[in-house]
Amino acid sequence: MSDKLKNIINKQGEQQNRDLNQLDDIVQLVGFVIGEEEYAIPILAIQEIIKPFSWTRVPQVPPYVLGVFNLRGAVIPLLDLRLKFGLPSKKQSDETRFIVMRHGDDVAGFVIDRLTMAIRLKKTDIGPPPDTVNGDDTIIDGVGKQEDKIITILKVNKLLERDF
Amino acid sequence: MDEFQEILQDFLVESFELVEKLDEDLVELENNPEDLELLNGIFRVAHTVKGASSFLNFDVLTHLTHHMEDVLNKARHGDLILTPDIMDVVLESIDLMKALLETIRDTSADAGIDVAACVSRLDKISGGDGEVVAPAAVEAVVAPEPVVEEVVATTPAEDEPDYDSMSPDDLEAEIEKLLQERQSEDKAKREAKIAAGEEVLAAPPEPTEEPAAAKPEPTPEPTPAPAPVAQAPAPKAEVKHDDPKAAAPAKRTPAAVEQTIRVDVKRLDHLMNLIGELVLAKNRLIKINDDVEERYEGEEFLEELNQVVSIVSLVTTDLQIAVMKTRMLPIGKVFNKFPRMIRDLSRELNKKIDLELGGEDTELDKSIVEEIGDPLVHIIRNSCDHGVETPEERLAQGKEETGTIGLKAYNEGNQIVIQIDDDGKGLDTQMLKNKSLEKGLITEKEADSMSDKEAFGLIFKPGFSTAAAVTSVSGRGVGMDVVKTNIEKLNGMIDIESEIGVGTSMKLKIPLTLAIIQALLVGVQEEYYAIPLASVLETVRISKDEIYTVEGRSVMRLRDEVLSLVHIGDIFEVERILDANEHAYVVVLGLGTSKLGLIVDTLVGQEEIVIKSLGDYLKGIEGIAGATIRGDGGVTLIVDVVALMSMARDVKSTPMGGESSAVAISNEKTKASDYTVMIVDDSKTDRTIMRKALEPMGMTLVEACDGQEALNILKAGDHNFDAMLVDIEMPRMDGYTLATEIKKYNKYKNLPLIAVTSRTGKSDRMRGVESGMIEYITKPYSADYLSSVVQRNVNFKSEFL
Repeated sequence: MSDKLKNIINKQGEQQNRDLNQLDDIVQLVGFVIGEEEYAIPILAIQEIIKPFSWTRVPQVPPYVLGVFNLRGAVIPLLDLRLKFGLPSKKQSDETRFIVMRHGDDVAGFVIDRLTMAIRLKKTDIGPPPDTVNGDDTIIDGVGKQEDKIITILKVNKLLERDF
Repeated sequence: MDEFQEILQDFLVESFELVEKLDEDLVELENNPEDLELLNGIFRVAHTVKGASSFLNFDVLTHLTHHMEDVLNKARHGDLILTPDIMDVVLESIDLMKALLETIRDTSADAGIDVAACVSRLDKISGGDGEVVAPAAVEAVVAPEPVVEEVVATTPAEDEPDYDSMSPDDLEAEIEKLLQERQSEDKAKREAKIAAGEEVLAAPPEPTEEPAAAKPEPTPEPTPAPAPVAQAPAPKAEVKHDDPKAAAPAKRTPAAVEQTIRVDVKRLDHLMNLIGELVLAKNRLIKINDDVEERYEGEEFLEELNQVVSIVSLVTTDLQIAVMKTRMLPIGKVFNKFPRMIRDLSRELNKKIDLELGGEDTELDKSIVEEIGDPLVHIIRNSCDHGVETPEERLAQGKEETGTIGLKAYNEGNQIVIQIDDDGKGLDTQMLKNKSLEKGLITEKEADSMSDKEAFGLIFKPGFSTAAAVTSVSGRGVGMDVVKTNIEKLNGMIDIESEIGVGTSMKLKIPLTLAIIQALLVGVQEEYYAIPLASVLETVRISKDEIYTVEGRSVMRLRDEVLSLVHIGDIFEVERILDANEHAYVVVLGLGTSKLGLIVDTLVGQEEIVIKSLGDYLKGIEGIAGATIRGDGGVTLIVDVVALMSMARDVKSTPMGGESSAVAISNEKTKASDYTVMIVDDSKTDRTIMRKALEPMGMTLVEACDGQEALNILKAGDHNFDAMLVDIEMPRMDGYTLATEIKKYNKYKNLPLIAVTSRTGKSDRMRGVESGMIEYITKPYSADYLSSVVQRNVNFKSEFL
C-alpha cells in the first residue's frame, strides 16, 4: 500500500514539475473586445469579472472615468475603456462586463464590450509592441499572435495609473 | 522618570517608523535625484528625529542628524547634486542613525557608536560649513559604553529569583523608592550637566546614573509584565538596569487580578472595521424595514420585525460607541512631554517661559493622539523661538518678564480643539508677506490681495522661515509645513489669530474619530451627496423668488443676514435632466466664521455614514472628501465642506430652471421605420391590437407592460421615441404617474403622450390633461382612428405610406 502511495506521490510530483516547466514559457491571458479590436490582459491581474451594475458619478474627472461602485464594501473606480481608447460611448448590452483588475494595491473596474476567452500563449508567440507606439508611455505590453489573428496585450499597471 | 520613559517610548516608536520609510525613499531618490517631494520628505524625517533627540539629550544622535540635515538641506535647495558617492555617505549616516536608535532602545543612552568619521564626511560634502564639533568629544562618549553593556548583560539573571519572592506590596514600595532615587539623580545630573556643559556626557556614566526605569509604566498596580509587542520594533523594549531590585519586572506576581490587558492595535482596528460594516448593514436593515412596512401595513409580524430592527440598531450604536471608547486615549499622554521641552528650550534660547496645561483628560482616538504629537512639538518650538520675546524685550514693552504658553484641549461639538496660546510678539502680516516674497513663495499680486488670515497661513508654506539663522531649534522652514500636512491628514483645520505685541493663538480643530460620522444626505437631480452634519448649521426651504442676484452671485436674505448661495449642481457639474422645482432647499454650511448656503433639490435625511476613501486613483478630487456605502448598496460621495467653500467663490451661478434647453429629438426621418412609438399597456391583447393597427405604417414599435418598465426603457435612451401610447390602469405605475414623471425631464417636454383607455369620465380626461397627455383615445377604437391620431402626432410624412 505504502509503495503504491509513494508511486502515486512521485508521479504527481513529476507531473507538477512538468507543468511548472511548461508554465514557464506559457502566458495565460483573458481576451476581450473593445470596439472592433481584441485585447488581452494577464489572467493573474484579474480579480474578478462581474456583470454591470449601477455606479455613482464622480465630478471633475475625465469622461472615461465613469465613477465609483461598491464591490462588497470597497469603493472602487470604474473606467470605460471605450472612452479611454477614444471610441464613442455605447449602450451597455447583455455582453458588457466589468473587469476588476488589480496591480499591487491599485484596483479598478473597467467596462469592456464583450469577453472572448481565456488564452494560453507561448512566450515566443508574443512580439514587442509596434515601433510607432514604443516608449515608456504606451499601455501596450506586446502583441500576441494566434493562428488567424493578433491580440494586443495591455499593461495592467499602466491601465491602473492615474493620468489626469 | 516615568514621564521620561513615556516620551522615550514614543520617540523610539516614531523614529523607527520614520527610519523604515526613509530607507525606501532614499533608494527611490537615488534613481530619481530630481524629485523634490521625496527629498523634502527625507529631510523632514531627519529634522524630526533631530528635534526630538535634542530635547531628550541624545547628543550623539542630534550631532549626527544635524549634519545629515545640512547635507539634505543643500540638496533640497539645489546647491548639491546627489551623486552616488554622496548617497553612500548619506546611507551610511542613516545606518548609523539606526544603530544609535537601537542602542537607545536597549540602553536608554546613545553612547557606544562612533559617528565622528561619518560626520566629518558629511561635513565635507556640505562644504564643511556645518557645526564643527571636535570629534574627540564624541569619542569620549564612546569609551564608557562597554562597562554599561557588561552590567546589562550579567546582572538581571542573577538577581531575578530574589525578586520573584517579593510580595506585590513590597514590590510597589521598591519601585516607588527607586523612582524617587532616580528622579533626584536625574535632577542632579541635569544640573551638573548644565553647569559643566557638554562635558558631562563625556564623563563615564556610572551604572546607577543610567537613566532608566524598570518598568515602562511604573503604575502602582502589579499588572503582568509588559509583553513586548511583536511588530513594533521598540515600544516595550525592557530597559535593563544594573540595580538588582529593579532589573526584573514583576513577572509572576501571584494571584494578581487582571484588570487590564494589552491588546494589539491591529485587532482593535480590525474590530473598528467590522463595526463599520455592521453600521452599513444596520442602515440597510432599517431601509428594508421601511419598505416592508409600507407594503404590508397592518400585518401582525410587522411589530415584531420593528422591535428586532430597533434592538439591532440600538445595540449596533452602543457597540460602536464602546469600541470607539476602547480606542480613546487622554490627550495628556501627548501633553506630558511638553513641560520638559519648554524647560530645555527656554534655557537654550535664554528666555523665561511658563507652560500652562489644560484639559489633559480630553479623550481622543488613538490614531489621532499618535499623529498630533509631532505637529504640537513644532508649534510649541515655534512659539518659543519666534513668539515669546527675550526677557529684556518683554520688560522694555512693559510685559512680565516671563512669557506664557498655554496648551489646552477641549471638546467642541463633534470636534476636539487643541489651542496653543502665547503672549509673545504676535505675527506681523507685513513681515510675513515680505519674507514670502523674498523666498519667492508668493507673487506681489497675491501679497496685495491677501487678507490677514491668509497671511498668517503663509507660515505653513514649505520653505518659509522668518528666522535669520538656522539654529538647532528652528529656522529651516520645515516645521510648520509638517504641522499642516499632519493636521490635514486628520481632516483637521488650523485657525490662527494674532495681534502684534499681544500674542498668537492657534487652534487645531480635529474630528473625534476618523471612521464614522453623522451626515445630512441631500439630493440634486438624480444624484445624492452626504454633507458632514458637523458643518451644517440649519436647513431652510425657499421659493425661487427669494433668491436675488448681486454682481452675478446668488444671495438670499436669512433673517438679518445676507447669505451667499451656490447650487450644488454647479459645483459638481450635475447635468440638469430633471426640470427644476418651484421650491428648493438651502443647507446653511458654517465653517469658522464663514457661512455659505448650498442649494439642493431635496433633503433626504440624516444618516450615520462610514467614511471610505476613494482610493489612490481618484484621490484629491476637489470638493469630495470620500465616499460611503448606503443602505441600498449604492455609493454616495461625501462633500468636503472646506474645499466646497473655496470652490464656491469661483463658481458663477447659473439661473435655476428658466430656459429649458429641450433637446430637439426631431432627427431627420428618411424611412418609415425611423419613427418609433412606445406602447404601454398591461394587457397583452390590448398591446397586440395596437401593434396590429400601427404595423401597416412600418413604424418601429416598442412595448412595455407597465409605467415603471416604460420609464426605464425611456431612460435607457436606446430609442428616440416620437410618441407614446399609454394605458391608464396599470400595476406598479399607472398612466397618470408615468406621464407626470416623463414630463419632469426637460428633453421629453415635447414628447406626445396619447392616453388609450376605457375610462371615459370627464374627470379622467381632466386628469389626463393635467398630467401632460395631449390626446385621449377611449377603448374601443377603430384601427384607422388610432393610426391617424398617431400619424398626426408624430408628423408622419405621407410619402412613406
